[in-house]
Parts: sequence; structure tokens; C-alpha cells
Amino acid sequence: METKQIGKPMKRVEDARLTSGQGSFIEDMSPLPHIHHAAILRSPYPHARIKAIRTQAAEEMPGVKGVVTGQDVAACTNPFPVGVTASVHYYSLAVDKVRYVGEPVAVVVAKNRYLAEDALEKIEVEYEPLPAVVEIEQALHPESPLLHEQVGSNIANHRHFSYGDPDKAFREADVVIKHKFAFPKYSATPVETYGVIASYQSSDDSLTIWSNFHGPFTLQSVMAAALRIDSNRLRILIPKDVGGSYGIKSGVYPYMVLMGVVSKKLGLPVKWIEDRQEHLMASSSGTDRVTWIEAAVKRDGTVTGLRMKMVDSVGAYVRAPEPACLYRTHSNTTGAYRIEHLQMETIAVMTNKSPTGLIRGYGGQQLYFPLERIMQMVATKLGLDPAEVLRKNLLGKEEFPYQTPSGGIYDSGDYKSAFDKLIGMVGYEEFRQRQKEARQKGKLLGIGLACIVEPSGSNMGYITVALTPEERSKSLPKSGCAEGATVSIDPMGGISVRISTAPTGQGHETVAAQIVAEVLGVDPRTVKVIAEMDTLTSPWSVASGSYSSRFAPIGSSAVYQAAGKVREKLLRIAADQLGCSPDQLEMKGGKVALRNDPAKQASLRRLVGSAHWNPQGLPAGTEPGIHETAFYTIPTAQPPDEQDRVNGSAAYGFVADAVVVEVDAATGDVKILNYCTVHDAGVLLNPLIADGQIMGGLAHGLGGALYEELAYDKNGQFLSGSFMDYLCPTATEMPPVTIGHIETPSPLTPLGAKGLGEGNTMSAPVVIANAVADALAEWDVTVDTLPLSPNRVWSWIQQSKKKKEEYA
Amino acid sequence: MNGNGSVELNATVEQVWAKILDPEVLAECMMGCKELVLVEDGKYRADLAVGVAAVKGKYDATIQLADVIERKSYKLIVRGEGAPGFVEAEGLIELAPGEDGSTTLTYTYTAEVGGKVASIGQRMLGGVAKLLITDFFKKLKKHVEKEQKTA
Repeated sequence: METKQIGKPMKRVEDARLTSGQGSFIEDMSPLPHIHHAAILRSPYPHARIKAIRTQAAEEMPGVKGVVTGQDVAACTNPFPVGVTASVHYYSLAVDKVRYVGEPVAVVVAKNRYLAEDALEKIEVEYEPLPAVVEIEQALHPESPLLHEQVGSNIANHRHFSYGDPDKAFREADVVIKHKFAFPKYSATPVETYGVIASYQSSDDSLTIWSNFHGPFTLQSVMAAALRIDSNRLRILIPKDVGGSYGIKSGVYPYMVLMGVVSKKLGLPVKWIEDRQEHLMASSSGTDRVTWIEAAVKRDGTVTGLRMKMVDSVGAYVRAPEPACLYRTHSNTTGAYRIEHLQMETIAVMTNKSPTGLIRGYGGQQLYFPLERIMQMVATKLGLDPAEVLRKNLLGKEEFPYQTPSGGIYDSGDYKSAFDKLIGMVGYEEFRQRQKEARQKGKLLGIGLACIVEPSGSNMGYITVALTPEERSKSLPKSGCAEGATVSIDPMGGISVRISTAPTGQGHETVAAQIVAEVLGVDPRTVKVIAEMDTLTSPWSVASGSYSSRFAPIGSSAVYQAAGKVREKLLRIAADQLGCSPDQLEMKGGKVALRNDPAKQASLRRLVGSAHWNPQGLPAGTEPGIHETAFYTIPTAQPPDEQDRVNGSAAYGFVADAVVVEVDAATGDVKILNYCTVHDAGVLLNPLIADGQIMGGLAHGLGGALYEELAYDKNGQFLSGSFMDYLCPTATEMPPVTIGHIETPSPLTPLGAKGLGEGNTMSAPVVIANAVADALAEWDVTVDTLPLSPNRVWSWIQQSKKKKEEYA
Repeated sequence: MNGNGSVELNATVEQVWAKILDPEVLAECMMGCKELVLVEDGKYRADLAVGVAAVKGKYDATIQLADVIERKSYKLIVRGEGAPGFVEAEGLIELAPGEDGSTTLTYTYTAEVGGKVASIGQRMLGGVAKLLITDFFKKLKKHVEKEQKTA
């Protein structure tokens, strides 16, 4: 048997059960007898005062066990804590006011879901409609209607940053290029929606909640605080299988608290499964953002400074971990470039839309849309080729580790090699010729480029940049990105691994098995990985969970270290039995043998057996049993400093994309002819899974570029409540994709790996926008918003035509 | 959402006016409405059952006649709320005498919807509104002119 397992394209161990109908999802679970079913009444108004709720008729319906309203929730929970100073009272049910269409107003519990849904219709709510705030710039206006009167404005968070000497950079610039960009509100749409089972036990005031939640487990303390319950009395269990999330399921936690309250009030175990309409209307989404960006540029295309004002709409309530979307990419605001002077203003506003939260790419797509568009606009303005401008500004291999002005520490990279590889892959030079010929025939071809830095393994400290250094100093500093794992071996030699990374389809079980198998010299198929998370028994930290692509840099490292501890212990036992020192031994093929004298050996089974059956025979100071837990964090994940510099992520990968599109001028339709993407995510732990992650991230980014938007009308009514109106890319929309890799190992992670599942979600919207802009170069069109739907592109072309005619 | 239109009615202004103030006639002409129950002067309560695309359901509605100018015009204010969401509509109905004893009825309307009916049925709403309104006046025309014949 080969000893090398890490880096092999091993097929996923999860797939056998998933493809044979043996997956175990929240809806499959029935962990208790007498579970009752909940349905939620939601607001049809974007903003209204609740004058009365009459529930008696609903309560009297057959099979109905009870109704819970905002008054019950306000009486027995605290508002959810959140990391800003604005006093926003966010509860799991609307209290006094509703602030977005779909906001939960009441819960009915009945013997089954049908009865519960029927009873919803019998609840009478008297609303007094109020004017709504929908657009970001409207929310910034001091005269706009207030969502939260006690806050005094619709601003939830507001900060200014200055790094280097931006004023000097702009003073000395040959050219300043500026523009305003708008990024839309969109979501991810996992096939499985939210689900919660909650059971309150009064005898010890404890609450057990099963849910397809995936962290971050900072939110366990947020939930315990809201529920006014001891944290060890709030047990959270996550099913073995979660049907996708892409960040969105992090937002199930208010419903976990809500069902906890419902179970407590009614004295019953309660189950709630969200339906698709509820999911689109009111689960969670990315933020919409307006960015005003200015670049200070030298005539040769060197960008020396940036000014950015970015305003996120976090929806009706600033909900933890927001306003983190504004700060997740704080460390890598200057992207893949050597830009030393940076000024930033960050604002989170509240609007009458659904609250936001984690989403694949979190903050990256919002950042890179203006940044990579402005890089292309620099080239256009100076009459240079965009490839030349990007290349000139890219960091060089010799500059790593590179500290960004805002405090990021880029661990490793070879951006220019990756970029050159991309340019070759897409046939950039040949394309320019083809483009010319196509234009003569009246065809609009365009090519877009984008280079992005992909952060992975979030530092818990970055979120505290939302506070000023003075505000931060009042509480415990936050840092690190810790994750735990346990490796144990039973008396018969069976190896099991317990992880707390709460996978939602990323194949963590497979990679954990590969790592442990390599360290212990066994077949990965014999290693059992348990990914079901349980906050009472799993090894976890506040940072645990499935987000910020943290398995490759962090979760896998914890597994590697726990396996290393087991290996060390086994070698110590073997050395004792074989009469040598541990460093003379090697472990492979289920055996430990002397490197120089392989005939002297002991089977792993025997060594394990000694630890369990004969602890008296173990070398002095060795504990019985084989059960090792390790926690891993990265030393560079420090708290923010006094100057607001922070290294927000453990590792920084690189993605370079090139996309060729054809735009149909008659219809505005954008067709992607070729998509090339080159990744540097350090050492690939499993190339098969890596490429799967890249394709998935790309599909999500494609949705953001061309199709997906959670649309609201000017009054705050939600307009995209089904898949008829909220368009997701499907297999037939996927373009031909060519993936390339280079591997510059991270010097910080023990396996040299970095995250890679989010890169194309960050890059695809802007690279496609750049390609469309290139295709429309002859028209006076600035691509500054998304999605690039046919009607939007067609309107731009029409406006430009009109302008041309007027001047002619 | 808004719109307008007109219908030619083969009856005098007085005859038409009497019809469009008659709650029984109004109820019969409104699709999905069984009866109008008078709650106060010029204000009625009704149960409306309307389906927009996949969003079918009942609305508890109030229908109010306002700014009534005898034999000339009135405003019809409809507010409905129910499981599918809410509807708020306002229509202005005006009568003008024709030459040969006929009447021209012109109407303008605005409508706002909210909740599920907006989030799912939005693409269909314009069409459904048009259908409801043309159906209303078609029935009204029938009513008015049938009366004429039998009279």
C-alpha cells in the first residue's frame, strides 16, 4: 500500500450514502417521540406597526397546541447580541414593529404541518403601515424613515480608516479614476432549506436543538445569551448530512432560538422545516453594497493609492456576525496588488429588506467588483492593455510574505506565474486578433481578466475592526481561528476521527480520513470520520464551523496534529516494546518497524491492544487508551492593532480568471464562450474535491454575474419569491471551464494548504463584467451594476445608441 | 401598478349611476365576491377569493365609496388582507352622457399588493388585474343593458 494519501484524488467517502438514499438530513430525523410541527406567520408589510394580534381562533382549531407571538419572545429572551454599538433590538419574532416582508410574526404549533399552516390563516394581525427604506443611498439620508427609532438613524456601523499616505498618493497621481458601483443583494439557494428540532426539558432548564446549522460557533454564545440559558444547557446537534449551505445556513440560528422558546412555552418538542418561499423571502443573503472608489494612478498604469467608501445594506436588523461582510476582506482590500496607500470609509445601513449574513465569498465579491472593474478602467483610460496593467501591479514572488497596508499578511504566492499561465491558457493574444475579425462582422466579443486574493480561515479578531480601538479596548481582545479534532483508536484497532468543522457537502470526512491514514500508515477507507457536531461532546472552539474556507488551512491542521499525537504515542509504546528509540521507527502498512531492521516490527493492532488491554505494560508516564485531541490556530491571527491593522485570515490564496463572452447587441444576451481559472491554494489536499469546489464556487459567481437578485420594489415589497423570478444557474447555464493550478505551499499551515472554495464566487461576477465591458467597448457603456441580465445590457446599449445619435 | 379604460354603456347616466351604487350589482360583477355587507355609510365588507398564479386564497376586504359626486363620479377604495398577502386599490369612476342617451364610463386605477402575492405572483399581476377589471365592466355592461331590454 502506498503511504502517500494527502494530495491524492481520492473519491469521496460521503458519496456512497448520498447516492443510495442513505444520507441523514434534518428532515429525516425524529430523535424524540411526540414531535409537533410548527408553521410561521410572516409579515406581508415591509414596515408597519403591529397594533394587535388576535390568536384565539387559531388556538381553538383542532390539533393546534398553541401560538407564540412577539410578546412571548420579548418576555423570555434577550435581543440577540451583536458586535456594534448601535442599539438594535433584534428578536426571533417581531415585537411591536415589522421591518421586512417575511419577518416572523407568530408561530403555530399543531399535530402536523397541515393543521399548523391552516391555523396561520386564522390569526388576525392589525398592521399600521409605515413608509419603507429600500435603497442604500436613501437609507443614508438623514430624513429617511427610521427602522429603529432608538438608534436615531439607519446607520448600524460607521468607520474611517487611513493607511500609508493616501492624500500624498492622490496629490502625486498623474490620473485619478473614480466611479460608483452597485453590487446586488443575492443569496445561495441550497437544495435543503433550514430545519430545526427543539426540545426543552424543564427538570434541568436545558434545551436540545438539532439543526442544519454550521457555525460559526461564536453564535452558540449569541444563542445562549438570547435564551438566557447556561451555555452548557444549550446543546446543539448537527445532522450527519447537510444539503448545502454556502454560508446561508448560518442564518438559521434565530429560528433555533425561536423554536427553543416555542418548545419551552408549549412544553413539547417542536420541528420546523422551512419551505422554499420562506427561504427566498426571509432566510439570509449577502449584502447589497454601493462603493465609491477612486484610484490614484501613474501614467504607466501603476496604481499607487485607493480611496473607497463602501456602504453595505444589512437588511432590517444588523444581525451577528454582521457587519462582518464589510470587514472580512479588510486585510486584503488592495487585492493582489502593491498599493501602499489606502483610505476607507465603511458604513452598514439598515433597510426594509431581509437581514443578511454569511454567504460564499463573503465580502469578496462586493470588494472585487469595484476593484477589478477600476483596474480595467485604468487600462482603458490610459490606452493600455488590461493584462499589462494587472501584471505591472501584481505582487512579485520575492515580496512574500507581504504585509498589506491594512495589516494582512499574505503568506505565500507566485501571482505572476499564475497570471502568465492563465494568459497562455486562454490564448489572450490570439483572442485579440479574433475579436478584431469578429467586430468587422458585427459580432461583439469581449475578454475579461481578474486577479483576486482569496482569504481563508478567518481570524476571529477581524470582526472587532467594526469598533474603534477605544471601544475594542473595553473588552477582551479577540484573535485566532482555532479548530479542534479528536483521533481515537478502539481496543480492536478501529480508528475514528471526530471533527467539528460542520461540513455541508465539502467532503471533510474524506480529507480527514486521508490525513489520518497517511499519518498512521493505514488505508483511508478503514478510518471512520464522525462529522456530526455535538456541542456537548465534540472538540470545538468559538471559531469552529464551516465557513471562510477554513477546513483546508485550519480544520485539516487540527486533524493532522491530533493524528500526530496518536502516532507519537504509538511510536513511544513500540519503542518500548522493541527496545529502541521512537525516531528509529517508521509507521506504514499497519505496522511499526525499525527503519534499519524491518524484521523487528510490531503491528498497530498489537500496540493499540497494549494501550487498552494491558495499561500496566505501557512505558512509564503513558496514559492508557488511545484518544487524542488537538486544537490548532495560526500565530499570525492577532487581534487588530491600535492603527486598525488586522491580519483577518490565516492564509491567502490567489485566483486569476479570464473569460471570453459574446454579447448579442439585439437582445442584450451574454454568452460565455470560455472560462479559464488558475488557482494557487498552496498544497491541494484532494485535487478531485478541489476542482469540485472550484466548479461550485464558479457556478455561484456566475449566478451573481448574470442571473440572481433578491429584488424589491420601491415600497419594499419582495418580488423574487420563487425560482420563476429568482433565477439560479443550472447545469445547462454552466460554460466550458478550464481549471489550472499552481502550488506555492503556505509556510504557516502544517500541510501547506489554503482554502479555495470561495475564490470564483468572488471573481466570477467581476471577470464577466469586465468581459462584457470589453465587448461593449465601442458603446459608451460603463458596467457598474449586476446582474447582467439581457434587459439591463440591452438598455445600456440603447441608451448609448441614443446618445450617439444625439451627438451625430 | 396602474391602468385606465372606458366602456360605452347603452343606458342613461341616471340608470348607470343607480346600478354602480347598488351593492348587489357590484357584488355580482366582482369576480370571486359573494356579497357586500354594509358596515357603515358607503363602506362594505366582502370576502374576496382571487387566485394569482399559484397564490390562491381569500382576502377579508373593505370596499368604500368616497368622493361621491351625484351622477358624475366616485372613488372606489378596496383594501383586502388575507393569507396570500394584501391588496390596496383605488379606482376613480366617471360618467359622461353620450348623445343618444348612452353613457361613457371611464376609469383609472392604482393598486399595490404585498406579501406572498407580490413575491410570487408579481409577473402575473398586471395581467390578472386587467382581467378582473375588464371582467367587472363586461358584467356591468351586461347588467345595465339587460335591464334596458327588459324595461
